[in-house]
Amino acid sequence: MKGIITLLLFTVSMIAQATEQAEEIFKQLAPSLYQIRLIDKTSGEKSSIGSGFQITDDGLIGTNYHVISGYARHPSKYRMEYLDNLGNKGQLELKSVDVINDLALVKRETTQPMPFFAISDSVPAKGEELFSLGNPHDLGMIVVPGTYNGLKKESFNDRIHFTGSVNSGMSGGPVVNAKTEVVGINVATSGNQIGFLVPHEKLVALFNNYKIKPPENIEAQMLEQLVENQNKLISTILNSEWQLKQLGQGLIPTVDVPYIRCWGDSNADKTDALILTAVANCTLEEDTFVSSNFFTGAIEMDYRYMQGKDLSDTKFYTLYEQQIKRAGPGNKATKDDVTEFQCQHDIVTPSHQNIKNKAIFCTRAYKDFAGLYDVLYIAGSIDQNNRALVSHFTIAGVQQDTAMAFTKKFMESVTWK
Amino acid sequence: MEIIIEEISRGHKLIGRHKFLKDSVAIGRGYHNDIIVSDPHVCADHLNINFNGEYWTVSDANTINGSFIEDSKDLLNEHRVESGDIITLGKSQIRILFPNHPVEESVTFSPFENLIDIARNPATIVFSVLLFAISTGYLFYLNNPKDVTFTQLFVPAIKMTLIFGLWPAGIALVSLLTKHDTRFLSQLGICFVFFNLMWVNDILERFVQFNVSSQWPFVWLIALIPIALSFCMFWFNCIIGFHTTKKRRIAICIGLTALLFGGSALIKISKKPEFNPYPRYNATLMTPDFHVTSSSSVEEFVKDSDKLFKKVSKKAKED
Repeated sequence: MKGIITLLLFTVSMIAQATEQAEEIFKQLAPSLYQIRLIDKTSGEKSSIGSGFQITDDGLIGTNYHVISGYARHPSKYRMEYLDNLGNKGQLELKSVDVINDLALVKRETTQPMPFFAISDSVPAKGEELFSLGNPHDLGMIVVPGTYNGLKKESFNDRIHFTGSVNSGMSGGPVVNAKTEVVGINVATSGNQIGFLVPHEKLVALFNNYKIKPPENIEAQMLEQLVENQNKLISTILNSEWQLKQLGQGLIPTVDVPYIRCWGDSNADKTDALILTAVANCTLEEDTFVSSNFFTGAIEMDYRYMQGKDLSDTKFYTLYEQQIKRAGPGNKATKDDVTEFQCQHDIVTPSHQNIKNKAIFCTRAYKDFAGLYDVLYIAGSIDQNNRALVSHFTIAGVQQDTAMAFTKKFMESVTWK
Repeated sequence: MEIIIEEISRGHKLIGRHKFLKDSVAIGRGYHNDIIVSDPHVCADHLNINFNGEYWTVSDANTINGSFIEDSKDLLNEHRVESGDIITLGKSQIRILFPNHPVEESVTFSPFENLIDIARNPATIVFSVLLFAISTGYLFYLNNPKDVTFTQLFVPAIKMTLIFGLWPAGIALVSLLTKHDTRFLSQLGICFVFFNLMWVNDILERFVQFNVSSQWPFVWLIALIPIALSFCMFWFNCIIGFHTTKKRRIAICIGLTALLFGGSALIKISKKPEFNPYPRYNATLMTPDFHVTSSSSVEEFVKDSDKLFKKVSKKAKED
């Protein structure tokens, strides 16, 4: 009993200590912490809010790209404002973005040197206590304590896994260690107590590039980043080992990289189904936010094996056709972002493979980012009477050469066992 | 002298025809007349037609509503009649003809009459209607992802056949209403022959779409076949149901075909969203036996895609 009481007392004091520490941190850093808001010029009301933090004494502020994406995409529609801890408002200017890592640099006017956040030069230790600062739900600045859990394993672009309640309005806020140095930037949440942060090195890189040469045109800068990221991703995938896995009687390629994860399912338990179906789906579990209705950078590969049970070939093929009729893009985009798809189809037999496919390939072009395309491919085997293998992929935001190199490798990999 | 008087409707359709072998004919609502017209706007003694030894004249009998040469406003008085004159009395019309009035040339039997005779043969009708019903049922069977019983197929097949049977029935009804021969069986036979040809065309279309690549430039030709088939069906419908001139028949058929295909195209266009985020492609699949063309290599397929990229890039620049 005595032991339990001691333990309880110990825990209480730990919590009290943490709260005290948090309060201290908040007081010290509050003047350098801002609420960033986009104001719709026509209605005069704010259309989105997020957090930001000052990183130089002359008013440069770091935040998330997605907080200010409305302004970056439609500068004439919005204006950007900051709100400091004393309730002062002022205009902001967009200086630079990193659309891949969801970062942006904005700048306020300053009359004299101001306090700012120091950026850490080391990576936190696993389990280290961190404090996330921000402005969730427009309630005013708050501090959320949490723990550093290392980098998320399955992501192509590094994200810190943070155990703590990162809410949507805290986006763009800094995460600091006990020494009040910034180690990450709030970016996303994945439900209870799981948050994701952009590592501080990404902000340092963006800042250094900005110091060397500020971008002349934000759209051109974004295009360059999207192209570079997608080229890096696809070339890594093309150079990784493609393992052939068995799906029914078919062989399908899966890429051996941690950030592309595969899931499977089948209807083997449904005895009354006319067609036995097994599906495998591999996706890149991250995409790039461009605007609230436009995402890019997604990759998915989808396979389906079908085998008819006591039904005529004609009926099997009729039902099978319905399965490949309605393929859709893997990313969200609107009329302002992309053209409509254009498609081609043909019957293709890859050399060295014993499969004959009806192959369909579609593409659409980005309107603001010339040279980038969304591509979609779907093929169904047409050489077996009551068996079929469907192979399908989509890639968002890719250049033609890269897309076709991937298509070629993909088409040559799918085959019968 | 001999004279022929036709009672005609406002649309110049024949209602009754009378031939007289005397020099004077009286027309009116009264029962003493040679031609009794029951139109209330016609007077008891309305019109007299007389032969004066040289020619026929027509005189109005000072009636309330008068008598006129078709659309003219001049009251008839001792008017010299020409063969073919149409006279309006009250709200009725008559046409006066002399025995030597020229007639149109005899119409030869349409060379298609033989075909129509085959189509209207009860055995042919039973065969084509059955074939249509079975095809419809089979299609329901193919597209149903679950096991289906015969009754489940029977009902939609019958329903579909009855719906398609409405067209020949409708045409026959219009023939009846326009005082032509009804010839329902001929219409039914011909229509179902064409409906079955449409099924055949469907298979042909799928076969072509399955075999040729999207690079093949003549795919649109396939789309013309159903248009041609419909035109031919309407043409037969007209031949069977109505006596019209060739020009008029062709105009009617073009109109109906345009209405059918133009109308469905219009509906499609009106339903088309401003921006379609989904790709539209041809995914026709048939069993391996139907593949007869050679297949392309991956390299060729990849090379072909160049055109698509060029096309969408151009579109993106235009917008």
